[in-house]
Amino acid sequence: MTGYILRRLLSVMVTFFVVSVIIFLMMHSIPGGPFDGGDMPVPEAVRQKLNAQYGLDQPLYVQYGRYMWGVLQFDFGVPFQSPGETVLELLGRAWVPSLVLGGLGVLIGVPLGILLGMAAALKRNSWIDYLASTVATLGLTIPVFVTSMLLILVFSVWLGWLPSSGWGEPERWILPIAAYATIPMATYARYMRSAMLDTLNKPFVTVLRAKGLSERQIVFQHVMRNSSIPLVTVFLPMFIGTATGSIFVEAMFRVPGLGSYFVSSIRTRDYPLEMALMLMLTVMFCLAYLISDILYAWLNPRIRHGGKQE
Amino acid sequence: MSGPDRIPPGAVPALELRGLGKRFHLRSGGILRRRVTELRAVADVDLVLPRGGILGLVGESGSGKSTTGLMALRLLEPSEGQILIEGTDVTALGHAALKPWRRRVQVVFQDSYSALDPMFTLAQVVAEPLRIHGIGDGASRHRAALDWLERVGLHRSYGSRYAHELSGGQRQRVAIARALILEPAVLIADEPTSALDVSVKAQIINLLQDLQAEMDLSILFISHDLSVVRSLCDRVAVMFSGRIVEEAPTEAIFTSARHPYTRALLDAIPVLDPRQRRRRTFRDRAEIARDVPVLRRGEVTGPVPEGAGPRLMPIGPDHRVAAVLEGEAA
Amino acid sequence: MTAEPNVAPAAAVLAKPAKRQRGPLWFAWRRFLANRAAVVGGSVLGIITLMAIFAPWITPAGPTAQAFLTDALAFPSAQHWMGVDDLGRDFFTRIVYGARVSLTIGFSAALFSVVIGIPLGAAAGFFGGRTDWVIMRVIEIFSVVPPLLAAMLLGALTGGGFWMIVAIAALFGWVQVCLLVRAQIKAFKEKEFVRAAQALGASPAYVIRVHLIPNSVSPIIIGFVLAIPLAMMLEASLSFLGVGVPPPTPSWGQMINNGMNFMYFYWHLAVFPTVALAVTVLATSLFGDGLRDALDPTMKAR
Repeated sequence: MTGYILRRLLSVMVTFFVVSVIIFLMMHSIPGGPFDGGDMPVPEAVRQKLNAQYGLDQPLYVQYGRYMWGVLQFDFGVPFQSPGETVLELLGRAWVPSLVLGGLGVLIGVPLGILLGMAAALKRNSWIDYLASTVATLGLTIPVFVTSMLLILVFSVWLGWLPSSGWGEPERWILPIAAYATIPMATYARYMRSAMLDTLNKPFVTVLRAKGLSERQIVFQHVMRNSSIPLVTVFLPMFIGTATGSIFVEAMFRVPGLGSYFVSSIRTRDYPLEMALMLMLTVMFCLAYLISDILYAWLNPRIRHGGKQE
Repeated sequence: MSGPDRIPPGAVPALELRGLGKRFHLRSGGILRRRVTELRAVADVDLVLPRGGILGLVGESGSGKSTTGLMALRLLEPSEGQILIEGTDVTALGHAALKPWRRRVQVVFQDSYSALDPMFTLAQVVAEPLRIHGIGDGASRHRAALDWLERVGLHRSYGSRYAHELSGGQRQRVAIARALILEPAVLIADEPTSALDVSVKAQIINLLQDLQAEMDLSILFISHDLSVVRSLCDRVAVMFSGRIVEEAPTEAIFTSARHPYTRALLDAIPVLDPRQRRRRTFRDRAEIARDVPVLRRGEVTGPVPEGAGPRLMPIGPDHRVAAVLEGEAA
Repeated sequence: MTAEPNVAPAAAVLAKPAKRQRGPLWFAWRRFLANRAAVVGGSVLGIITLMAIFAPWITPAGPTAQAFLTDALAFPSAQHWMGVDDLGRDFFTRIVYGARVSLTIGFSAALFSVVIGIPLGAAAGFFGGRTDWVIMRVIEIFSVVPPLLAAMLLGALTGGGFWMIVAIAALFGWVQVCLLVRAQIKAFKEKEFVRAAQALGASPAYVIRVHLIPNSVSPIIIGFVLAIPLAMMLEASLSFLGVGVPPPTPSWGQMINNGMNFMYFYWHLAVFPTVALAVTVLATSLFGDGLRDALDPTMKAR
């Protein structure tokens, strides 16, 4: 097990290195820098001075090396768009809304999705089954900014119940949280439904029925436990979907979170901020992969003993 | 280069295996502490399949008989030894040089379902060998395929059907037609009847016998079913743990088997008449492996092969058994 | 059984002529038709496709023509079914031409995904070993990077554009096709009909082309159809963020972004592109899921 974790850790580090180099190169290989100016040409001398100040005149590998060395000390530089603070300070500020809204969205969406999926599996072909399938399909296929737009159109524009943007009073949180929650809810509704149906069709459940156990006992003591393993493994795609979705949710609801800064950094070619955000996301996703791999390896013997073959 | 067509028939064996062996390397452990274990799946297989002969190769699953078949087809590279088709060593031939020889040795597999491409019509399946070897045009190949379907007992209209519409026995007939359309010298039949019902099994055996007689075909019949082997083959070789332990004319195997493994196989044949039922002895493989037959010098009818340990010794007309001589350590 | 098989000669079992030939795909088609959601999805997709193809004949003006400046921001009416946008363009026209952009990008990206995915998947599945290792490591890198994020970055760096979007979508779309084809070929290359062809002297190229690829039509179709909504989603998302298809080319994502500025006063500018995108992506997904469910069992079961 230790060897497995070490091997995965190594491969994650290699992946991280490759991705960071690719991102770094991509951002620097495209013609045009932040001081090239489009509408307001910057004088040549000023431009060179600025480039030198930010180290943009050095060879690429030097820039990369210096950058990564700084990163190891949590020095991501200064964002071009708000030079009064460091990237780290800006990120520290931007974390809060993203974490609160995204976290609440996941906390609400996951249990709702699980309940919906369970109800759908237990009452096949009933209205709740159709509801679950519809929610799952809509949530997984329609881009989250479209969901957000629909929520705003219905609850803000048409009904006028809730504000559509901003950050602050809790009633402003409701719609973005609802938009966030669609992703985990859809993911879990779909997987819980199919995992439960799979388990309910296993021979051991038939045996339990033949032994005269009540349907309630079968579901809560046996089926639930056996259906829960796939739920651990879908957490990863759900997490990535939610994290990516945050960009659109925050842009839609004008929440000053990481997603908003991601968009603005891309639009303004804000290298330090963009790099920091991309690296942070890569680390996050790599860690998520690592955790899910380890969890899966750890669960595997149990899966085997549970009679499930992969 | 001598093509397969220049060999005078009869003089040389259709197929000969000399000292054929296959080793697999099993890797275990991580990147740092990698261990490689060697597994000898097949070792020292000498077999001669004369023209027009039917040789049974029997043994339990895992004994290496299918591996031997795959090597004889050059589908699996042997680790050692030689394969001779009609007297020519084809062991080292490359893809292009081997192709004409591929026509001479064809195969029928056990699982008739996976043996036929589900996307092909049966006419396409049977015509495929002609297509691969560039014989004839589309229309003539189609005609030949339908002729062969008829020859194996299927109506010509089956040519436009698909494998999934057929029964196991019918699919096996198609597989036989595909194997024989190039009129090969050798047919390697790898458990062709094991997946079939008893009555269908008999039909397929009959079909093989008929075709063998018509085409002067040599068949290497790989099976674990001794009763089928007895009704079809004229010689039998018994494989155990990757080696041939006994080889003799069919009747000699059934009447005077010497090797304990051959006897164990014979004991496993179900007997319907309870009065004839023998007392069975069930022994595990390790026990059989330890029980090497010991021969007196007088029992050996030919020259004793050199070397130590169990080796194939002649003990009667055309009868060889893996044994040691009295006085040797087993 | 006893040792002597005493059954009639082989020719006596000449079976009755077959009624009708039915290939594996025929059964898949039957299964597809039984799936209501998929049939509805496919029909909707078909109607949208027809509208996109015949766009010039069913719309009053060109997609970029500011022909109704005096009616700018007009609400839906008999003349302008979906109203007029802020720049005086008939909004129904914009929506229909938006379908053109969305579908063209979806189909082209799916096509490129398949073109890249098939050979790589076939090579990885058939040859295994080092080839497989290299291709799988490349895929691993692609799977760690979320496509939408990377697409945004690429879109921002390259400035977007129609073919850039197609390229980005294909860059992330081929992975799925490659994995599907690889799995199928890996399963089929051990089949005995492949062995039989090899025993006949067929080359790897022949085996892949004649046996393995045709037996992978199901995963290829599935990969193709499922790549379409992904590409459409990608285009809409990038255009929404302003790094996708540049104006004035009509794109639903772009229109949604624009509609946001007007939604409290001129709701039609937000509602129609949102609904159009949702319906199209949903229909395509349902159609793709239905095709997958219909095609999958043929390969697994007998």
